[in-house]
Amino acid sequence: MSTPLIETKGLKKYFTTAYGPLHAVDDVNLTIQRGTTLGVVGESGCGKSTLGRTIIHLLESTDGQILFNGEDVTHVKGKALHEVRERMQIIFQDPYSSLDPRKTILDTVREPLVVSKRYKKSEIDDATDELMELVGIDNRLKYSYPHELDGGRRQRVGIARALALNPDFVVCDEPVSALDVSIQAQVLNLLKRLQQQKQLTYMFVTHDLSVVRHISDDICVMYLGQVVELCPSKELFKMPLHPYTKALLSAIPSVDIHNPMKREILQGELTSPINPKPGCRFASRCKYATAECEKPQVLEEISPNHRVACCRVKEINNL
Amino acid sequence: MAITKNTNEMPFLQIKDLVVEYTSDGETIHAVNGVDLSLRRGETLGLVGETGAGKTTIAKSILRILPDRSAKICGGEIFVNGKDLLKLSEPEIQQIRGNEIAMIFQDPMTALNPVKRVGDQIAEVIRIHNSISPAEVEKRAKEMLELVGIPAQRFREYPHQFSGGMKQRVVIAIALACNPDLLLADEPTTALDVTIQAQVLDMIADLKKQKNSSMIMITHDLGVVAEVCDQVGIIYAGEIVEYGSKEQIFDHPTHPYTIGLFGAIPDMNEDEEWLHPIEGLPPDPTNLPQGCAFNPRCPYATEECRKGKIPFAETPDGHLSRCLHTAEVLKKEANA
Repeated sequence: MSTPLIETKGLKKYFTTAYGPLHAVDDVNLTIQRGTTLGVVGESGCGKSTLGRTIIHLLESTDGQILFNGEDVTHVKGKALHEVRERMQIIFQDPYSSLDPRKTILDTVREPLVVSKRYKKSEIDDATDELMELVGIDNRLKYSYPHELDGGRRQRVGIARALALNPDFVVCDEPVSALDVSIQAQVLNLLKRLQQQKQLTYMFVTHDLSVVRHISDDICVMYLGQVVELCPSKELFKMPLHPYTKALLSAIPSVDIHNPMKREILQGELTSPINPKPGCRFASRCKYATAECEKPQVLEEISPNHRVACCRVKEINNL
Repeated sequence: MAITKNTNEMPFLQIKDLVVEYTSDGETIHAVNGVDLSLRRGETLGLVGETGAGKTTIAKSILRILPDRSAKICGGEIFVNGKDLLKLSEPEIQQIRGNEIAMIFQDPMTALNPVKRVGDQIAEVIRIHNSISPAEVEKRAKEMLELVGIPAQRFREYPHQFSGGMKQRVVIAIALACNPDLLLADEPTTALDVTIQAQVLDMIADLKKQKNSSMIMITHDLGVVAEVCDQVGIIYAGEIVEYGSKEQIFDHPTHPYTIGLFGAIPDMNEDEEWLHPIEGLPPDPTNLPQGCAFNPRCPYATEECRKGKIPFAETPDGHLSRCLHTAEVLKKEANA
């Protein structure tokens, strides 16, 4: 297999709080191949956004390694950091708060090109026109301000800005969760078309499982800062193995009214990620938990390309 | 054709030709444009539509909690238990609010008062609507807290000490505290994670069953509708465009907008390369298109669709759709 575009090894991001370290991302190992999409799912507070932001250096990692195209970029500084950042971009969740309300659409889209200092003014003008066309924003909206646009168009502006410098890797942090379904479908199609045109690699962070199933090649399920299951998208929905993934999938309300899914309702809520115990973090809500689960869990390959962090996974699934 | 049919009994809730407008900067926003609906006791009606379609405005009109300054109910009647709510005086409607009719608000983060203990917020509604001793009020409030799965020991805590899911349970406890006959649930689970959503939906369904209340579930999530509703109204630009039982709407969606909505959701059971979005944008409520409000986005639209309000027509399976081209739509859908 070729060198993955993104690889993390034992990546950790802890935040300091008054009550002790908060383990937002704890020992995450994953790889993303060029041109593919890794979906990251989990409940709010599980660290999925933090993971994306740490990989692209919006947050400094606490420990571990980030490899970009096989090269260690964990601790790059100064000019090297600038270069890495140009290759890795982000589309934010809320198209209302992630655009500068006092900048015109044109200024927002061209800003990355200006900041990079590599282009002449005429080049920048041409590139912005091209970008606006690429994401489907009418040229007449160039001089509009964000408040004049609807959510879907704003998100297109966010996408144009992220793609301005021709990045290789884009973190999409819940890019459609603030949009209505009919508009959501437009934006998802746009992201997919851009990926095909430009060989983009996405990390798609979301809590919406039907969206993630549609757009991802691989899916990584996170629980309290740790990856509990990682496998190809289709496989995950066909054969979820981790007890948490099973509960998560069964909780999605289905539009199929004649074959209602058998519900498995999880009791309780996420426990605190501050100073967690060493064992399985899901154990307190898991109906299969035993004494063994108090030991640290390892992400193991159960079947080809299907990795699960659960010591009882074989028993539970009769494998 | 009215939405009430095949029934001689007076439905528990009946809305007739409701029209609500907002004014802002001298412009008139046509939020609700002639909505009819009815609901029997114990039934749940799902109101489905996109942002700005007028779903929440309908619920707020029932409770008469629209902002006085900007909103105006321009016409229509709302009957609950035989009383026309729009004709009641303020003290009379206050007797009903939170008592016979209660609302679960969308965002639990803003629906609760941050400087008031959660227990007191539940007790408030019980105290207002019942003449019982303070000790009895507190006892009932604690029971409500337990009922939604929060230990009564947390009675004296503040909203910020609760997680999002727990805050929403408190909002539900407040809504259910006086055994309402009608529950208006405005996107009660939109702000929650799916696992917590499953808990909350289950709880609402249980409590509703215990008390045989009716409910209007406002949502944009068709999955939630499939789970909890009996009847469904699809709402677009302040108008119900399709109305029927859950089975009728999910098995035979007929209005082009409803079909578009179903097509836009990624399918959990099938692999499709591309989604099928509805082209264009929802209309500007200050300047609605002539005729059918959906016509600029509709693949079936003809000159006739732009000519005036489209009446409900009965579909082959007996539900209602505001569309002139039902036969053509169904033929094309059958071939697809």
